[in-house]
Amino acid sequence: MNPVIEVKNLKKYFTTPRGMLHAVDDVTFTIEKGRTLGVVGESGCGKSTLGRTIIHLHESTEGQILLNGKDVTNLKGKDLRQAREKMQIIFQDPYSSLDPRKTIDSTIREPLIVSRRFTKSQIDQKTQELMDLVGIDERLRKAYPHELDGGRRQRVGIARALALEPEFVVCDEPVSALDVSIQAQVLNLLKKLQKEKGLTYMFVTHDMSVVRHISDDICVMYLGQVVEKCSSKELFKTPLHPYTRALLSAIPSTDIDKPNKREILRGEITSPVNPKPGCRFAARCPYAKEECLKQQKQEEISPGHFVTCCRLQEISSSYN
Amino acid sequence: MHQKEINTDMPFLSIKDLKVEYKSDGQIVHAVNDVSLQLERGKTLGLVGETGAGKTTIAKSILRILPDVGSHIANGEIYLEGENLLKLSETDMRKIRGNKVSMIFQDPMTALNPVLRVGDQIAEVVSLHSDSNNRAEHEKRAKEMLEIVGIPAERYYAYPHQFSGGMKQRVVIAIALACNPDLLLADEPTTALDVTIQAQVLDLIAELRNKYNTAMLLITHDMGVVAQVCDTVAVIYAGRIIEYGTKQQIFKHPSHPYTIGLFGAIPDMNEDEEWLHPIDGLPPDPTNLPQGCSFAPRCKFATDACWKEPISMNKTQDGHDCRCCRIEAVMKGED
Repeated sequence: MNPVIEVKNLKKYFTTPRGMLHAVDDVTFTIEKGRTLGVVGESGCGKSTLGRTIIHLHESTEGQILLNGKDVTNLKGKDLRQAREKMQIIFQDPYSSLDPRKTIDSTIREPLIVSRRFTKSQIDQKTQELMDLVGIDERLRKAYPHELDGGRRQRVGIARALALEPEFVVCDEPVSALDVSIQAQVLNLLKKLQKEKGLTYMFVTHDMSVVRHISDDICVMYLGQVVEKCSSKELFKTPLHPYTRALLSAIPSTDIDKPNKREILRGEITSPVNPKPGCRFAARCPYAKEECLKQQKQEEISPGHFVTCCRLQEISSSYN
Repeated sequence: MHQKEINTDMPFLSIKDLKVEYKSDGQIVHAVNDVSLQLERGKTLGLVGETGAGKTTIAKSILRILPDVGSHIANGEIYLEGENLLKLSETDMRKIRGNKVSMIFQDPMTALNPVLRVGDQIAEVVSLHSDSNNRAEHEKRAKEMLEIVGIPAERYYAYPHQFSGGMKQRVVIAIALACNPDLLLADEPTTALDVTIQAQVLDLIAELRNKYNTAMLLITHDMGVVAQVCDTVAVIYAGRIIEYGTKQQIFKHPSHPYTIGLFGAIPDMNEDEEWLHPIDGLPPDPTNLPQGCSFAPRCKFATDACWKEPISMNKTQDGHDCRCCRIEAVMKGED
């Protein structure tokens, strides 16, 4: 056991004119060194906020974040800057996350300059190494982002994130904006870098085939809460929470002989502003009953498989 | 209304030898090259390919909304119900846009006007194509459309920033469908959405399509979406259709090395694989397309013949079109 990141009861609330928006509500998990935790869920479920809160792009409301066993929850100033070198992020949109007025070279160089740890010649050398590492041609050194395709831009984003040799990287939908043939290149690159450098990833995505491919463990989030958490294999073999099952059944299958048996969800998505206690999925859940409106507890159904659903015992017998 | 010569023998939508060029820095970008397509009423044609392959340009050519400066339809004809859209006057074309033919744009975040209420944006389309000036009526129709796409009518007065991505995309769909178009050009309508919402939106589009017998040109790169929704499929690469057939033909017997590669690059939901199989390299520079097959630089089956001259459409064993001169070798898997 060598956890790089431990998140304990993490909460992130935003104040809105209508009340408190519970973006991340009581999330707990650990990621061990060299492993990947996939976080899946619908847009607005708080998966990106969770990633951003962990690396301090948002301040957490409550809870604890431990990096290599050290509490980094409330770091400020210089300590925070140091901790952040170990925690980086690759953003979703390679079109808007690069400064359009900076060349590729100066984008990758920037974190090295900011850290104030390197001399000019060291920075030159490291920039070159990073470009080689992620596979960007030397001729593109002085190019601007608009001259690059999405795949190459994302490679720049990866190079920038890895510049200070982080241990933990939040990958926030890094391949969602890319074509499949390029997506496969970037996923392979991320996997290769993880192997070479022992990186620990938190991989946020809504693409179930991507998350299945890249993750060791998976957290399924719904409106700020984790509804199911287990190994990737287990999740796809025996999904238990009704939401996970709906999510998996909604993936369009490329097998034209086996059309999807979809569980189409009805009902409105509950508002994350001032949510009532109880299961937040209840409004759309085909199995919901009165008891679902009470506070829910996470239970370990089988070793390492956590589900938050009070009716699981009853309803799981009806799953085929 | 002006007199139209309608040829009823023709397919509902027929594109012939379309060639579109952009001018950029004095260079000519060959965005669409000799594309021919047909689509019948009530059917869905999937246009599959990578970014920059020319999918969106084809759709924009149909609506004639390519940028005025720098773009140029160099050749070809686009017939809708036998009428050549490229020959229509701008006034006549304006009557078709949003009414007979409408488009769902890819990015719901930029397709909506941030300073107008979402309801008013739907009502605007309705009022432009309606003979009456009754605002209340247009507003009613807009509210109806919101309900159809699953948004409560009281959200009429909300602004785009108050909506989630999925809701914004549903507004964009509501705008596109407000006038019951005969032809819907859907440019990656669900790419920005989550799977459960995607499933809802695809169902919604299918439902409306069945109800109004709308023909749809679906632009996507998601093979799963194609498998669910389309009747025929055209795979496009560097502005050329490289494989064209029914969904069954393309999915059962993909024959072009690019199509095969595309299927191989998708992470498999049923099998564990350590590494994915990307297609190496990048699409060719559209200002400088290879003389022969545009996929040759990335193709492991390429021989000298592939590089020499443009490849013509060939028939595969099951009778669909494939722009490859080495089909037999590809089928046997010989390098």
